[in-house]
Amino acid sequence: MRELPTLARYPFLADTRQYIKDHGPAITDLLHDLLYERARLTSIERLDNALSDSDVGERSLATDADCIMEILSYPLARMVTVCISDPYFQRRYALGEAYHTYKYLLTEPTSFLSAVAKELGLSVHYTPETRLRLFFKDYLRYAPTTYKEWKMVNREVAGGYIALSHKDLARVVQETLRARINTELSGRPCDEDVNRIFMEDIRRLQTILQQRQRRQDAVPVGKLHPEHLPPCMTDLLAATQAGENVPHMGRFALVAFLNSLKLSPTDILKLFSTAPDFEEEKSRYQIDHITGATSSTSYKCPGCDKMRTYGICPTEKMDGLCRRTRHPLNYYSAKWRQEKKQ
Amino acid sequence: MMGGDSSQAFLRDAFEAFYRSHPVELPDRFTRREFAFLMFGGKGMLRHLGFERREQFQDFLEERAPQHAYYSSAYYQAPSAPKMQDKKWMGAELIFDLDSDHLPGAEKMTYVESLAVVKREFQKLVEEFLLGDLGFSEKYVSLYFSGGRGYHCHVKDPTILDLDSSERRELVDYITARDLQDSLIFHERVTARRSYGTQEFASGTSLQMPSPQEAGWKGRISRGIIEIVEEITRSDSPMEKLKEYGVKEKDAERLVQELSEERVRRIRGGMLDQSKAIRKFFLNSALRKTAVSLSAGETDEPVTCDVKRLIRLPGSLHGKTGLRVVPIAIDALERFDPLRDAVVLPDTPVRIQIPSELSVRMKDESFTFSPGEHEVPLFLAAFFLGRKQATLQEPNP
Repeated sequence: MRELPTLARYPFLADTRQYIKDHGPAITDLLHDLLYERARLTSIERLDNALSDSDVGERSLATDADCIMEILSYPLARMVTVCISDPYFQRRYALGEAYHTYKYLLTEPTSFLSAVAKELGLSVHYTPETRLRLFFKDYLRYAPTTYKEWKMVNREVAGGYIALSHKDLARVVQETLRARINTELSGRPCDEDVNRIFMEDIRRLQTILQQRQRRQDAVPVGKLHPEHLPPCMTDLLAATQAGENVPHMGRFALVAFLNSLKLSPTDILKLFSTAPDFEEEKSRYQIDHITGATSSTSYKCPGCDKMRTYGICPTEKMDGLCRRTRHPLNYYSAKWRQEKKQ
Repeated sequence: MMGGDSSQAFLRDAFEAFYRSHPVELPDRFTRREFAFLMFGGKGMLRHLGFERREQFQDFLEERAPQHAYYSSAYYQAPSAPKMQDKKWMGAELIFDLDSDHLPGAEKMTYVESLAVVKREFQKLVEEFLLGDLGFSEKYVSLYFSGGRGYHCHVKDPTILDLDSSERRELVDYITARDLQDSLIFHERVTARRSYGTQEFASGTSLQMPSPQEAGWKGRISRGIIEIVEEITRSDSPMEKLKEYGVKEKDAERLVQELSEERVRRIRGGMLDQSKAIRKFFLNSALRKTAVSLSAGETDEPVTCDVKRLIRLPGSLHGKTGLRVVPIAIDALERFDPLRDAVVLPDTPVRIQIPSELSVRMKDESFTFSPGEHEVPLFLAAFFLGRKQATLQEPNP
C-alpha cells in the first residue's frame, strides 16, 4: 500500500479506493456527520476550482487528517458533479482533476509515473536503462495529436511503440484520466441524499453555468453572414457558385456547415443555384440527404482536422483565428462574438 | 444484336459457372458483416444483406452471380439493419486501399504499368509501416489484389479494431507524412565560432540530419536522402537522374554544380548543407520516395478513415476484369503478377469483336490483336468485355 499523502494526491488509484473501503466512513456518515464537514467543504472547493481554473486546486497534506479529508473529498466531488447534471460542467470537472494530477506527476519519479499509467490501462514500457515508450494505439487514443508536435509523424515510432519524455507521458495520463472520469460519471444517477445536502451549492453552480450558456448562444441562425465564414467555407462556397468542380467531401462539408447554421434546404439550394451547371434535382437530393430530410441522419460538418486530411482546408489562407479553432463552426461563432464586442 | 447486353449476360454466365465450382470463403465472423452486391445489368447496389449460414451465402453467389461483391470491414450487431445507426457498430478492420486511380500521372500509364507503381507503394506501406514502425504481427496482416486497379490490405489485430475514424486518420497522416515538421528532423549545429574580445559568436551553422538508424520518420528521411545522393552521384548522367526526380532543367544544373564532392561527403556524414535549393530538393524527394501515396488528396477520401466502409470481398470476381480478388502472401508480394496470379476463369474459346488494336500479357503469354473478329480464351474475353474494350461476337443465325 502506498503512503497516505500519495493516496491523497492520486485519489483515483485502486489503492485509494481500497483505503476508503478499509478505513473510510459509511456513506451516510460521510454525508451527515459533522466529523466530515471539512471533506464536504473541500469537495465543493474542488468543483469551484475546476470551473474557474481548470484545476481542482492544492491543499495542505501535512497531517494524516489533511490527507484523509482530501481523499474523502474526491468521491464527494464526483457525486455532486453527477447531481449538477450538466455535460459541460462534467467535462470541466474531469479536466480539473486530470490537470491537477498532471502537475503532480511532473514531479514524480518516472517509475511512479509509469506505474500510474499502467494502472489506467496504458501499455507502457519502462526500465531505468531504456526510454519511456507507449503503445501506439494508446497514443492515438489519448495523445493530443491535433497539435503538430504531437502528431505521430513527428515522433519516434518503432515496433508499435512511441518514445516519450516524462512530461509527455504525464500529459497522456492526464488525457486518459479525463476520459475515464467522464465515462465513469456519464449516465450515473444522482443520489437523492447528495442532492439534498449539497442543494445550495448545486443551485449556485447551475446558475453560473446557465449564465455562461446564454453568452454562448448569442450567434444568430437562419441567415448567412458571408463575412464571418472561415476561409475553407468561403472557398467552397465560391467554387460551388462558380460551377467549379468541388470534391464530394467539399460539397458535403459545405452543406453540413450551412445546415448547422439552421439554413433551410431551400435556402442552401438557392446559394448553389448560381452555378452554371446547376442541376436542381440532383442538388436537392444531395442536400436533403445530408441535412437529414430524406435520410436517417443529419450529418455534422467535419472538424478542421478532417478538413485537412481530405485536402479541403486551404492551409495557405489560414488566419490567426483558424489556428485557434478546431472546427469551422467555432470559427463562425467566434467571428460573430468578435464583431459584437467592437 | 451486338453490344452491352449480350456481353453482360455472357459474363454473368461465366461468373455463375465459376462460383458453382469455386466456393468463396467467407470473412471471419461473417454473421456480423454487412454484404452488398452489384448485379449484371442491375440498377443500384443491393445492400444491407446479412448471411446467417455459409450455405445461404454460397447459394446466393451461385444463383445470382453478382458482377461485384462487397462486405463491410466493420462488425455489426445487426448487419442487415437498413439504417446505419441501427446496425450497432462493434469495431472494424483497418483497411488500406491503394488504387492506381489515385496516383499522380496514372492516366498516362497502361494498366500493367500503373499496377506496378501501386505495388511499389503497397510494399512500402506493408513492409516499412505496418510491419515495421507499427509493429503489426504478420498473422494479422492480409494482402489482396483488388481484382481491378490496386491492392487492399486488411489488418485484423484485435487491439486496433475499435480505433475510431480520427484515430485512423492519424495513422493515415503518419504513413503519408502529412504535417511532418522538418524543424523537428533537422537540427542546426554550430560549426564555427568567432570571438570578439570576451564574447563568442556562431559564425557558421550547418543543418544536421538524424542518423539513418533513428526510429520513425527521422531515420527514414535520412535514409531517403542518402539513397538519393548515391543514386545521383553514381549515375552516368546526374542531370537525367535529377529530371527523373522531377527537377526542372535550370534547377538541376544548379544542383549538379552545387553537389561538389565535398558536399556529398558532408551529406553522407550527416551534415545537410545549408544551401536552400539542395535542402528543399532533398527533403521533398526523400518524402516522395519514402511516404506512401494513398490518395493525392483529390476527390477520393481515404478509405482507411471510414469505419463503416464496404470493401471488395476476397475470393470474389471483379466484374470489370474477370480477375479474382486473391490473397497474396507477404513474402510473395514482390513476384506477384496480377495478370498471371489472379486469372482464374477457364480458357474455353470465345469469339469477340475487337474495335482497335489491343495487346496484353496474361498468364505469361503475350497476346496482340488487330481490329476484327478473334477467338480468344474466356479469361481474356472477360477481361476485354469487362473493360469494354471488345464486344461479344454473336453466332451467325
